[in-house]
Amino acid sequence: MKKILTLVGVALLLTAPLAHAQLGSSSGTTTVTVAPVAEAALNITNGSTPLTSAGTNFTNYTGSTSLTYYIRTTLSGGSGSITLKVTTDFSPANGPSVTTPPSTGDKLAYTCTLSGAGTACSGSQTASTSSSTSVATFGADAHTVTFPGGDTATTAWTLTNDPKYKTGSYSAVVTFTISAS
Amino acid sequence: MAQFEMTRSKPGTFVALRVRAKRILIVSEQGRYQFGSLDMRTFLSGPRSLSGVMSPLERVGRLIARLAPLVVWGALLLAPIRLRAATLTTTQTLKAVISPLGGLFSLPLSPVTLAKTGTAFNNYTGSLAINYRERTTQSTGGGTITVQATADFTPANGPSIASPPSTGDKLTYTCSGATLGTNCSGTQTVSTTAATNVVTFSASECTGGGGSCSTASTNSVTVNFTLTNDPKYKTGSYSATLTVTISAS
Repeated sequence: MKKILTLVGVALLLTAPLAHAQLGSSSGTTTVTVAPVAEAALNITNGSTPLTSAGTNFTNYTGSTSLTYYIRTTLSGGSGSITLKVTTDFSPANGPSVTTPPSTGDKLAYTCTLSGAGTACSGSQTASTSSSTSVATFGADAHTVTFPGGDTATTAWTLTNDPKYKTGSYSAVVTFTISAS
Repeated sequence: MAQFEMTRSKPGTFVALRVRAKRILIVSEQGRYQFGSLDMRTFLSGPRSLSGVMSPLERVGRLIARLAPLVVWGALLLAPIRLRAATLTTTQTLKAVISPLGGLFSLPLSPVTLAKTGTAFNNYTGSLAINYRERTTQSTGGGTITVQATADFTPANGPSIASPPSTGDKLTYTCSGATLGTNCSGTQTVSTTAATNVVTFSASECTGGGGSCSTASTNSVTVNFTLTNDPKYKTGSYSATLTVTISAS
């Protein structure tokens, strides 16, 4: 009988915590995790970039395009870039052209400036319809400095003012691309 | 050869023999008889007693004497059965003290993963389901579910609640679908120094049973987190601990 009573007592003691667990607890914890990876984004500030000629006759057309960008490259071994490419040549015909300019030496060129992370393109770059050209480059563990808002890049354009261009209005489309790894 | 002498007891009882034989014949006055196995000894133990010959009777007596307590105990044990069978009315006062109580019944065992969807540098989002039970005091009671970051993101150089790399970085949340109580209002910001509201309970709210209580046996609420995706976070994996607390009064 004593053994039975002892067993019953032990059983009650063992089941007591179970009953308590069923009541729930007044607090609990959870872990929140996040795993940032390399990524990049940009936003062109001016939707269109007029190229104008100022000063003396046949001074080249100039203008600038600004963009903001966000970038995060991988801590070790990462890299990134901003490039541009003329995805649609000037139209209509008989004006300037990136692919088939009316005169040898006619070109759409640009220089770069950055305010923030990365290294701006070096010197004057010539835009192309066939390949992307650099605006900025980023090494490993690169991060946008200005947040929120984003870092700023500017391309200053120069288009040859060839007398062969017929008067009129001509437009081309330039696509900027940012990447990060 | 047997030696014997006869002794007479009360009428109707046995007649005993003083014997010297291994087996004797015992005859009653009613004509009943039986053989008995006896030693070579006298069985008379007293005047008119028939100790040797009355041995079976003694056994019966002893048996009765042994069974008597059992019969008494049996009667006592069976007494309630008889009572139950009868119509009987009794009253019993039951008193339960119902106290305000809140309990968290489940938080996900796996971490709440904040992930980015859509375009680059969209904020990280994730949700946390909380199951709870609550009972608040009538008229004057109330209660809350709150959340607080009890451990900031680690390791360093990632997101941080206490000291984010950029002004405006934050871990915020909205509350939706509370099946008991009122969802937190608008967007709340998680803090390491203060608990912030998830659900507010008013007086006389209770879980389960229907009526004035909720119909569900367990209530739930979803907390939808948003973490700023700051480009300054170095790539890697970062974790923080949130403590959810429920209270009732």
